[in-house]
Parts: sequence; structure tokens; C-alpha cells
Amino acid sequence: MAQYRTQVRIIADVLSTAKDSNTEGTGVGVTTLLRKGNMSYTRMSKLLSELVGSGLLLELDGEKISKYMISQKGIQFLNAYYAFEDFAQSFGLRL
Amino acid sequence: MTPQPEMGLIQNILQFIGVFVSFSIAYVAYRGVRQTESSSLLRLATAFIFLGFGFLIEGLVGLANLVVLPISTTAVVVGGLLLETTGYFFLAFSHAVDVLISKKLGVALLVFPVITLTGTQLADVLSILSFYFVLYGVVETVYSYARTRKPDTLLIAMGLSLIGVGTFFQWLSLLYQYVGVLSLLQIILQEMGLLILFTPVLNFAVGGVKVNGSV
Repeated sequence: MAQYRTQVRIIADVLSTAKDSNTEGTGVGVTTLLRKGNMSYTRMSKLLSELVGSGLLLELDGEKISKYMISQKGIQFLNAYYAFEDFAQSFGLRL
Repeated sequence: MTPQPEMGLIQNILQFIGVFVSFSIAYVAYRGVRQTESSSLLRLATAFIFLGFGFLIEGLVGLANLVVLPISTTAVVVGGLLLETTGYFFLAFSHAVDVLISKKLGVALLVFPVITLTGTQLADVLSILSFYFVLYGVVETVYSYARTRKPDTLLIAMGLSLIGVGTFFQWLSLLYQYVGVLSLLQIILQEMGLLILFTPVLNFAVGGVKVNGSV
């Protein structure tokens, strides 16, 4: 059964992809984020600008396209998210 | 509703443990709200703030009785119970909203207690409402455990079950006030349940998460 994702869950998913898929350390392209984030290009673009604006993601200027890398603040947010997700799940709730 | 002095003292100590546990859970949940802006955690924090204040009022009323200060008016007792019931309502509401968000088929157990609504006191109604809210919370938590298989979730379901049985005894103690052991049994069960609910707070404290980022 399909499940709605909350906004904070979507943010965590995008940050998690940016962290895990950045194996070469050169950042992650929008295509990868779109594929794993499961959302439209328009919505992803808006979200990426918000995350860059809030300092959770770093935008790296590539030759053709921009690439994204998780920032230290983003890693801290992700750790906090996992900790609080665990806490909420203990009470049978989802973040 | 005036217990024996020794029993009353034990009940008060247990009430204040309940205050501590409730406010601890509310504090961690509130930290979660500030870090993640999660509405689930906001409802959880709200629930335990109400529960904490409810226990605090009930504890203070009991304490006043022990030192022979006749401030135990029915209005204050009902006020404490109302806060407690509101706390349980928010706990049940968190699950109800979670059911709607996740589109899962929650077990709709919000059956209203038609039998007890007939001409009983407000305190009786609040107690039985608390029981139904907690029962709903238990069912949804067990359902969530079936999904996540997380041992802590099962533990919380057990804790909520104890609180549920406790609220049921609370209702019985209001109906049969001459059976003094009922109210002691109620508070012991409730506090045991609350102490089990403290487990995630301990896990969180042991995890020692340092967070600065926010959305």
C-alpha cells in the first residue's frame, strides 16, 4: 500500500541519498536524487534550493550541471532525524 | 476519595514519579520538534505535557490532604483528571493522524462509552474516556510493532496497556470508593506503565545525540 511521506521524511531521504551516493566525493547529480527521491523535477528543484539555502546541502558547480553534497550541518540534521525517528517509532509513531 | 495516610503518601510519591517521567518524555519530544519540525512529535509532547500537569495537580491535591490542608475541592480533582484525559486524547490523536497520513487501515477503536455516560459523575466519564484513548493507543502501537518489529515499540505497547488497566481501575475506584485498594492498584499500574514509557528517553539519553541543524 502506498504511503504518504511527510516533508521532513522527504528532506531526510534527499540528504541520505546525497550522503550515500557521493562515493567519489564529487557530489551527486539531480538525476540520481530524482531517481532515489521519487518526486517530480519541479518539486525537487524547489527543495534543493531550500536545502542549499538552509545550509544542509552544498551546491558544487560542475562543467554542465550542478552537483550536490551534504554539508556538516546536513549530517548533523540527518543524525538528529534518525535519533528522533527511533524515539517516535518507539511510541508507534512516524516522523 | 480520601485514602489512608500511609497509602496516600505512597500514591503521592508515585504521582510525582509520573510527573517526572511525563515531563521527560515531553522534553525529548519537544527537542525533536525543534530539530525536525515533526508534527507527530509535537502531538506527543503536547500529550505528555497535559499528562504531566494532570499528575502534578493530582499529586499536589493528595499532598495537601496529607498535611491537612482542606483544598481538595472536587473542581481541582476534576481539573487534574481533565488534564490527564486531554493528555491521553492527544496520545490517541497522534495515532489517529498517523493512520490518516500513512493511509494504513488503523483499527478504529474510538467507540464511545455509551454505558457510562448515563448519569454518572464527570470524573467517572473522564476516567473511562482515558481508558478508551489509551486502549486505542495500545492497539495502534501493537499495529505499528507488527510493521516495524522494533522491540521498543512492543515495550511501549506493554507500558500503555498497564496505564490502560490503571485507568480502568481508576474508574472502578471512583465507582466503588469504599474499596481503598483499587486506587492504590490503579496508581501502581499507571506508574509501572509510565516507567516503561521512560525507556525511549533513556535510550535517547544514552545515544547522546548532539544536533545543531534544523530545517
